[in-house]
Amino acid sequence: MGIARMKKVYLLAHQADKERVLSALQQAGLLEINEITGTEEAADWVTLLARDQEQQALQELEGRLAEVKFNLDFLNRYHPVRKGLLDDFLAEKKSFTAGEMEQLATGWADASSKVFAAAKAIEEKLLQMRNEETRLQNLKQQLLPWRRLPVPLEELHSTPAVKIELFTLPVNAADKFRAELAETDAAYALEQVENLRGEIYFVLVAHHSDVETVRDVLKRFDYVRHTFPELTGLVDELLAGLEEDLQKLAARQEEVRQNIAELAQYREQLLYYLDYLTVLREKKQAVENLGRTVSTFALEGWVREADEERLQQLLSAVSDSVVLVTREPEPGEAFPVQLENKPLFAPFEFVTKLYGAPSPYGIDPTAAFAPFFIIFYGIALTDAAYGLVLVLLSVLGLMKIKGENMRRLLKILFGCGISTIVFGWLIGGWLGYQVLGAPLYFDAINDPMRLLIYSLALGIIHIFWGMMLKLIHLVRQRQYFAAFADVILWYGLIIGLLLLIVPAVARFGKYLAIASAVGLILTQGRAQSSIIKKFFSGVLSLYNITSYLSDILSYSRLLALGLATGVVSLTVNTMAGLLKGNPIGYVAMIVILAGGHVFNLAINALGAFIHSSRLQYIEFYNQFYEGGGKYFNPFRMQTRHLDIRPEGLPDK
Amino acid sequence: MFGLESGIVLAVIGAALAVLLAGIGSAIGVGTVGQAAAGVVSEDPDKFGSTLILQALPGTQGIYGLLVGFLILLRIGFIGGSPVALTVEQGWSFFFAALPIAIGGLISAIYQGKTAVSGVYLVAKRAEESGKAIIFAVMVETYAVLALLMSIMMLFGVRV
Repeated sequence: MGIARMKKVYLLAHQADKERVLSALQQAGLLEINEITGTEEAADWVTLLARDQEQQALQELEGRLAEVKFNLDFLNRYHPVRKGLLDDFLAEKKSFTAGEMEQLATGWADASSKVFAAAKAIEEKLLQMRNEETRLQNLKQQLLPWRRLPVPLEELHSTPAVKIELFTLPVNAADKFRAELAETDAAYALEQVENLRGEIYFVLVAHHSDVETVRDVLKRFDYVRHTFPELTGLVDELLAGLEEDLQKLAARQEEVRQNIAELAQYREQLLYYLDYLTVLREKKQAVENLGRTVSTFALEGWVREADEERLQQLLSAVSDSVVLVTREPEPGEAFPVQLENKPLFAPFEFVTKLYGAPSPYGIDPTAAFAPFFIIFYGIALTDAAYGLVLVLLSVLGLMKIKGENMRRLLKILFGCGISTIVFGWLIGGWLGYQVLGAPLYFDAINDPMRLLIYSLALGIIHIFWGMMLKLIHLVRQRQYFAAFADVILWYGLIIGLLLLIVPAVARFGKYLAIASAVGLILTQGRAQSSIIKKFFSGVLSLYNITSYLSDILSYSRLLALGLATGVVSLTVNTMAGLLKGNPIGYVAMIVILAGGHVFNLAINALGAFIHSSRLQYIEFYNQFYEGGGKYFNPFRMQTRHLDIRPEGLPDK
Repeated sequence: MFGLESGIVLAVIGAALAVLLAGIGSAIGVGTVGQAAAGVVSEDPDKFGSTLILQALPGTQGIYGLLVGFLILLRIGFIGGSPVALTVEQGWSFFFAALPIAIGGLISAIYQGKTAVSGVYLVAKRAEESGKAIIFAVMVETYAVLALLMSIMMLFGVRV
């Protein structure tokens, strides 16, 4: 329960065994490896060690990883797999033993180099083809306007007698150009070939002696000369040829695409290889934390106390010359945090981890807030039918989904669904209707004040429970005075103030509150040095009552969220109800009902989850939580696409 | 003048303001988060899920506004009944009951949107911290929830 006890580990072994020791450790996943620093008493022995490293092996691995990533990226770009939102969660991981994986890995490596070579070649080919296509398309665009030229292009060269020019002019300048050219005494022939996109395409034939005159006129206009020095034949025929070339190119591209599709069959192997290499890389990176001498290496880390035996057995099975020394953490020494909870509460570690890690010497809040989380969720959603949907969806998900984190979330949702059914039945409805008669207890929409009071009361219980955790923690640490001054006195003040509301005990409440307040004034400044500072700190501490007040009022959100679900349901039902009467109306009614309720469920299920989390993180944690820990991160095999089953590990 | 002496007109104006202003706020909030989220997803399509949740967060104010508007219409008999004759005093009461969620919703949705945009950037850099990004945005939501709560309490307080 709570935060696992950890032991510091020092391990010493022969270099010759290093590979096998690390493999065994990685497969077992029991030990967190830290940078080697040595012990307090013998810090100097670390100076005898050189930092171990395997740069070369690591670099080679990085190279191979880059290759696989390039391959996968290539396949994703040219041959993407369609996948739904949920596919990642539903994917069944292939499972191998570590030995099987070693054997298969050579095959994967071959596949990877094969794909890499092919992909490189294909990329180059594709680039060439794209360039070729651009060239052909540009030429086509240039030639297209001239397709009515009845003469082969090579005959458009100038002859000894005349000069021939192809050019374009903007449409609005064409008439003026014709007129100005006619005014000269030049001998020429001007033919309009095409009028396209605001440009007129002209062929001009002029006698050599008149070329200068004609050019002078042309210069006054915004003309563009066109020449096709390298082309021969009729434009029409050239265009037909280009079209044919383009089609051939498309066929070749299709062929390459086929090649890529063939490569895609290796995708799965590439993904496995990626995992394999990642695991290897992590092993090589772990080496950088070790210290070494010529023939030995030393390792430092943390192991859960419960796993110490297994670690010992595991290592003695690997080699009989491994020395393992463990010790308790020294007082105040930060050790990695591993949450340990009963199976019923363990899923809620999902919520705990969303916030961060508690201090190793603090409190694991998981089991403490789990029941409240579920109750708050139920009140914030308050619709029995929605609860039923959540239960069904989470059961369905738990049957299909394998990912540990996702399963935890689904288990939480299952509990929240049950709670929503209960509270929906008690104070809400079914899809906004009160199908099974009125709510069992009272109707939250017609009596919101009552739910508000219940919400605030729940808040007070929640906050008192949080203070109780602090009390227990302080007592366990034998800080009895702090427990009295920082928790009991506050209990007294808050309870006293609450009792003021009830006339029968108001007098008692008054005295309790005053006594507690005096106690707080006397004790809350105890960390200060001088009497005056002590007094003022004590008085100022009373101001904290506002923080308790705002914490408690914050629980009014439970009412607001519950009403929000109920009223949106009501809105959907009323809008749908307005439509009934004819067949089309009934269809529209069903569409609105289905869409509206799915929307309402989705948005409020999310809202209930985050507000329920928030009430833990802000209001509840405020009472006792100490953060700043780091989660236990054992050296292990982290894979995304395949499952590696360890071999030869001692049983639990 | 302008029908302000008619209770029913005042109540309807209140309902309209609740839906309008809170809706505008949500539209702005959801819109800005959507822009940032689209940028992040263009780099890494796997982040669609967590950025979508962030985008949805400033959307609730619009729903709260709709909810209050709807409750007002329900109480003055525009929906599922015949309009009630309201005094000017009752009309103003409904009008002011709509204001907390109208204005609180408008402004909190815009700021929640801004917080969520920063959350989207957080997710872009550290996908594993999306929970924290959501919590930051939810801190803003509190004030929309409180505004909604006050609007509802005021609404139920009006005697018709």
